[in-house]
Amino acid sequence: MDKKLGVYICSGCSIGESVDVSQLAKVAESEYKVPVCRTHAFLCGAEGVNLIREDLKQGTTNAVVIAACSPRAKTAEFSFDPRMVLDRVNLREQVAWCHKPNDEETQALAEDDLRMGIVRAQKMEPLESAPEPISKSILVVGGGVAGISAALAAATAGSDVVLVEKQAQLGGFAAKVKKDIPRHPPYTEAGADGLASRIQAVASHPRIKVFCSTSITKTEGQPGMFDVTLQNGGQPFTHRVGAIVLATGWKPYDASKLSGLGYGLPDVITNVEFEQMAAAGPITRPSTGLPVESVLFVQCAGSRDKDHLPYCSSTCCMNTLKQAEYVREQNSEAQVFVVYKDIVTPGQYESYYQKVQDQPLNFFMKGAVTSVATGADGRVNVSLDGTLLGSPMLIPVDLVVLATGMVPNSADGIAIRTLHDANLKVARNESDTQRQEAEKIVEQYKHHEGTEILNLTYRQGPDLPVLRDGFPDSNFICFPYETLRTGIYAAGAVRAPMDSTLAEEDASGAVMKAIQSVQMASEGQAVHPRAGDLSFPSFFLQRCTSCKRCTEECPFGSLDEDEKGTPRFNQYRCRRCGICMGACPERIVSFKNYSVDMIASMIKAIEVPDETEDKPRVLIFACENDAYPALDMVGLSRATYDASVRIIPLRCLGSMNIVWIADALSRGIDGVMLMGCKFGDDYQCHFLRGSELADRRLVNVKDTLGRLQLEGDRIQLVQLAIDECGRLPQVIDDFVGKLRQLGPNPYKGF
Amino acid sequence: MASALLVQPDTKFIHDVMQGGGADLKKCFQCATCSSVCELSTESRPFPRKQMIEAQWGLKKQLMADPAVWLCHNCGDCTTKCPRDARPGQVMGAIRREAIKRYAFPRFMGSLVSTPKALPLLLALPVFILYAIAVWPLPGSAAHGWEFGFMFPQARLEELFFAVGGLVMALFAIGVIQFVGDLRASGANGPILTALGPALIEILTHRRFAKCSEEKNRYWGHLLVFAGFGGLAVVGTAVGMGTMFGVMHTPLPVLSPFKILANLCALVILAGAVILIVRRIKDRDARSSGTYFDWFFLLVLASVAATGIASEGLRLAQDPTWMYPVYFVHLTLILVLFLYAAYSKFAHIAYRTVAVAATWEGRKQRLAVMDSVATETLAEKSS
Repeated sequence: MDKKLGVYICSGCSIGESVDVSQLAKVAESEYKVPVCRTHAFLCGAEGVNLIREDLKQGTTNAVVIAACSPRAKTAEFSFDPRMVLDRVNLREQVAWCHKPNDEETQALAEDDLRMGIVRAQKMEPLESAPEPISKSILVVGGGVAGISAALAAATAGSDVVLVEKQAQLGGFAAKVKKDIPRHPPYTEAGADGLASRIQAVASHPRIKVFCSTSITKTEGQPGMFDVTLQNGGQPFTHRVGAIVLATGWKPYDASKLSGLGYGLPDVITNVEFEQMAAAGPITRPSTGLPVESVLFVQCAGSRDKDHLPYCSSTCCMNTLKQAEYVREQNSEAQVFVVYKDIVTPGQYESYYQKVQDQPLNFFMKGAVTSVATGADGRVNVSLDGTLLGSPMLIPVDLVVLATGMVPNSADGIAIRTLHDANLKVARNESDTQRQEAEKIVEQYKHHEGTEILNLTYRQGPDLPVLRDGFPDSNFICFPYETLRTGIYAAGAVRAPMDSTLAEEDASGAVMKAIQSVQMASEGQAVHPRAGDLSFPSFFLQRCTSCKRCTEECPFGSLDEDEKGTPRFNQYRCRRCGICMGACPERIVSFKNYSVDMIASMIKAIEVPDETEDKPRVLIFACENDAYPALDMVGLSRATYDASVRIIPLRCLGSMNIVWIADALSRGIDGVMLMGCKFGDDYQCHFLRGSELADRRLVNVKDTLGRLQLEGDRIQLVQLAIDECGRLPQVIDDFVGKLRQLGPNPYKGF
Repeated sequence: MASALLVQPDTKFIHDVMQGGGADLKKCFQCATCSSVCELSTESRPFPRKQMIEAQWGLKKQLMADPAVWLCHNCGDCTTKCPRDARPGQVMGAIRREAIKRYAFPRFMGSLVSTPKALPLLLALPVFILYAIAVWPLPGSAAHGWEFGFMFPQARLEELFFAVGGLVMALFAIGVIQFVGDLRASGANGPILTALGPALIEILTHRRFAKCSEEKNRYWGHLLVFAGFGGLAVVGTAVGMGTMFGVMHTPLPVLSPFKILANLCALVILAGAVILIVRRIKDRDARSSGTYFDWFFLLVLASVAATGIASEGLRLAQDPTWMYPVYFVHLTLILVLFLYAAYSKFAHIAYRTVAVAATWEGRKQRLAVMDSVATETLAEKSS
């Protein structure tokens, strides 16, 4: 494209008082010979913006560099055609507001930032928007409360819905309870939940197609064009949908693992079994068939326990209170004991706890059950310790109910794939050691056999990856309902343990995301977290060596393999993070507005003073999610730090290609800092593992540095959260101080 | 470690406690705010949190033998701060009522005195006795003007009150000895007899009572009633002995030091009782949770003082129409107070004293703990 660059420099917001704007203009005009360079004291005002629009209208410019405030500010004012080349140079939050005004080094920083901005705009190409035809139908997997609510929500909003349910009828667990926990003020009455009428509404809605006794045999394609093959006994048939809501719900924790709490004895049952019994008829002792006179409920049975489920399932306490009322309805003199670690009845549910607690014959005690055994008289003796009385207790009762927790009905996609790959290795039998290792893996993962739900034809695995405790998760801190597969959203108890009221709300949330995702896909845009992004990576496959790094490292499984083993990119699965770009050793991946060459050129544009001047130059790659805003916030709070740093924003630290470090060091830059989100167990990286990948790649870099006789300490990766901006100035100053100690880069001036 | 407690909830006990003032017992969710704010609760023997859950679970045996139930002075700090409105102060009062009933000898008297319907019967007994004395002829010396001695000869009264006093002591003793036995069995091993002295001094000075911050009125009310009663006990015994040995004659002249002291004490008792009654009426919490058991004792006490002062006034005014009936009522009420002392709220004088002695940990240690508690509790910080 014949680029006509317009550079616009704002001197407002104390930029003009901090740096010499006319000097900056000179850099643009004489060093880069840009056709248009203007300065203005108030660029985001009507007059200033008009300057830019006029030049574009006249055709004097077709690409714009705005050197003013942070790209995160004034986005509405500086809003043009989204396909146009627009680059924002941050002279305010990252220059004027955090460095010494009218200082030589501050001026040098501003000039370098402008240089980098101009080079970047020169390398950027306008984006295209040529989306393919997108289906806006929603597939809902699972016909329980969440699934039904999702189907109704989507259909009411105007979407076509396909609802798939494995069992013969809709309703899931919620349809099988005797009563639901209180759902309406004053939250003291258990009762009917209106599910039957909603099932009816789903069955009769013109936009919803319901398939019971049906499972998914294959999900091919990508968001906007998922081809889902369904099977229900007859011929398999396929539907095309745009997004998927996974609402497969939960199953009870396996009580056979709770023999320590007495499960296995005839009069020890689970809360689900108790509910079934109560819904079907009178509550009786399984051993005698006689109505119960005393019942003991054990809360947190196999929950909040490091040997079983580590989490709280949030609904068991409310259900126990409800079940205590069932016993009372049947027998007003019955004694009901509830033994708990805590009673979890948050918010309005506390009113129900107060009501059930008020009954004189409901006995509540915090304690730990030490044994459950049959007594001499045939009753069940429950022993407690760690009680509120300070002494162990022995309570003989007719029936013990274990309040067990919820386990999500999810498939571990990565584990299933690992199992399949190991099976292949065993079959291929290339060497004894390989086969033995593969057999060990098969043994470890074999319980995942046949557990697929979605049966995705993704190279990375036939189902969603699961994170903690089997829940499909993405970065729930910021984006609930997301999973690690774009266009697939989790709702209800499969996402997190919850009751039916919350599951209805959850379903609405997931449906909103699903509708949003197909809408944005139909406009060629990414949906999250880079909402609205029209760019996508292109792969120069001629130079691909099929090393598969991009295929494996993409957090979202955007790349499959074709028959020859070369990567096959699925644009609508992509979240545009650029991790593939960072992974590729051949550097064949690039975006129209973000490429290896672009960043490398930006690095080369930095003016590096030679070693006679005591002016170190430090490069900071800052990820745009946490690190860049944190740097902005340092500026907002007017804290200052060393002006030797040059900040280059990246979409994700995972998109960092090692060649940039080599480029930086060979230019004489003294050190490189990578600033990104936290990784690890409580990760915050918005692309799951970008900063972790960068950290791993750095290990190789440090080896290279050693061979070049450069200190490994010149490269540092810093993990921070957006709220840690307070410590940033210290972190940066310490790093520059350390580099000063190491001395200047010996490659300066080469 | 203690062996496991076999749980068999005494549901009648739970019902009785809830009827006896602890109606909100089940609201307690064991947050222990009550034990934290209680100024009398110590690290070695905290209360009333545990007592609340023992009551909820109907563990009557444990509660009856628990001295902490009596260490509580019913100040109500805990009730004020309870986040669930479970009224632990009132629950403790109800438990004490159950304890008095439990250790009452004979047992049926315990239930009788706390039943409103039995009031006529309870009054009938002293009325009958006094009537008998009034009509029982006794050779007496001539008197000057109207004297009570006409109707109620001093000698008879002396015999009556010594007899009643002896009976009350004996009945009390039976109950208290049983109580001590249960205390020992539950682990309260303080040296009761040797500790009685220091315990009584602490009680006399109302040191514990003063710690309760919410209800200063009760401290003053009780202190006045207590002091007045003590004074009257001393005067009464002295005068009784004096008349028995013939060195004194009743009625004593108004300016006699004994008489002055006695009148002063009567006024003090009346003042204290009025403070306590007014507090029970004005304070919404106390008004709504006061039981028959509470009012019986308080009103009898107040009426004894009032009728006593009225009798003396009427005698000094030489009004024959009213002085005898009023005096009759006065004596009736005194008999009610003492005859039923072991079964009414009055019984706390024995049970609380014994409990304090049984948990005595040494004066210095006790004071040190109580003083250090005083600077750190929530009650002080928030007021």
